[in-house]
Amino acid sequence: MFDISNDDNIFYACSHFEGSMFCLSLIEHNLPLPPHLLNRPLLDAIKEELERLFLDKVISNLGLCISIYDIRTIEGGFVFPGDGSSTYKVVFRLIMFRPYVGEILCGKLKASDANGLHLSLGFFDDIKVPVHLLPLKSRMGEDGIWIWEHECGDLPMDLDEEVHFRVTKINYPPIPVEQDANANPFSPMEIIGEIYGDGLGLLSWWAD
Amino acid sequence: MKTLQANAGVLTNLEVLEFLRARGATSDPMGCLGAVAPSECKVFDHLVNTAACNQTRGAIDEFLKRCEKFKLAKAEKLNIINLRPSNQALIDPIIEYCEKRLTKDEARGIDEVQELVDLVLEVLPPPPAKPDEEMQALEETPTEKLMEEN
Repeated sequence: MFDISNDDNIFYACSHFEGSMFCLSLIEHNLPLPPHLLNRPLLDAIKEELERLFLDKVISNLGLCISIYDIRTIEGGFVFPGDGSSTYKVVFRLIMFRPYVGEILCGKLKASDANGLHLSLGFFDDIKVPVHLLPLKSRMGEDGIWIWEHECGDLPMDLDEEVHFRVTKINYPPIPVEQDANANPFSPMEIIGEIYGDGLGLLSWWAD
Repeated sequence: MKTLQANAGVLTNLEVLEFLRARGATSDPMGCLGAVAPSECKVFDHLVNTAACNQTRGAIDEFLKRCEKFKLAKAEKLNIINLRPSNQALIDPIIEYCEKRLTKDEARGIDEVQELVDLVLEVLPPPPAKPDEEMQALEETPTEKLMEEN
């Protein structure tokens, strides 16, 4: 049984913080190693398989997997009857993108329509600010751009602007059985944000 | 797949950035190939444009030590470190019940919110300038030189 820990790199153990945009999740998985990887060093082969399975995938309630942080233990190597692969029981930690409800994040305004705003973090695009979570006096212009009717004048929410938003909910909708041909591609993880309140909304509204 | 611990530790943006950098991620998209996956490269690109890019562990440590007196929740400290709010308006949404927990008394000259903002400005470095801001800075310099000559 191998034990490869990497604890010195966690500078801030969970005793310091309760929540963050990025966190670690400890996972155990029975991993079959396909025969074509068997001539590689074990650790490399296992890491490659784990990356293939988890990288950039959403795990329900755990978030979006960003990276394999480390591999803690590897057990097994059994070959099951009728199977060309060896199966290993691997315990490892993943870096997950999983903001907490209430966290303030900064995203770019990618799209705007009658439903509200769509924000993006570059590596994660499914952030929605629905109409009821926009500043109180907001109206949509003819070009689809939302405008905040501020006392000092109209403030348009132009595309490509940096927007500070508060995470109000994270949804993990179940995979639909059937989809219309015209429907938007299914997003397994969706963040609902609000920009209602002081200090939220376009960064240019509040910057010095 | 079995989740042994959903939350086995949290990471600041700086730590994720350092982790990816140590694996070979760079700002150059071609340089990333082979070292890190394209999806990891996208995370790196996002983080390199945030305050985390210029932060050091020493700066974060100093901030944590000096913000003790404000009695912030752990998650709030982390949010401040990652976002680096540069004025009172931007820091306000991060701190729950800000008006009740941080004293603002003009008569006695106390403004804890401003103290916290000043601490952020002093200890945590600003995020890298956006490309258009850099262009504006370059454009301004020749004009200033002309004005000095005249």
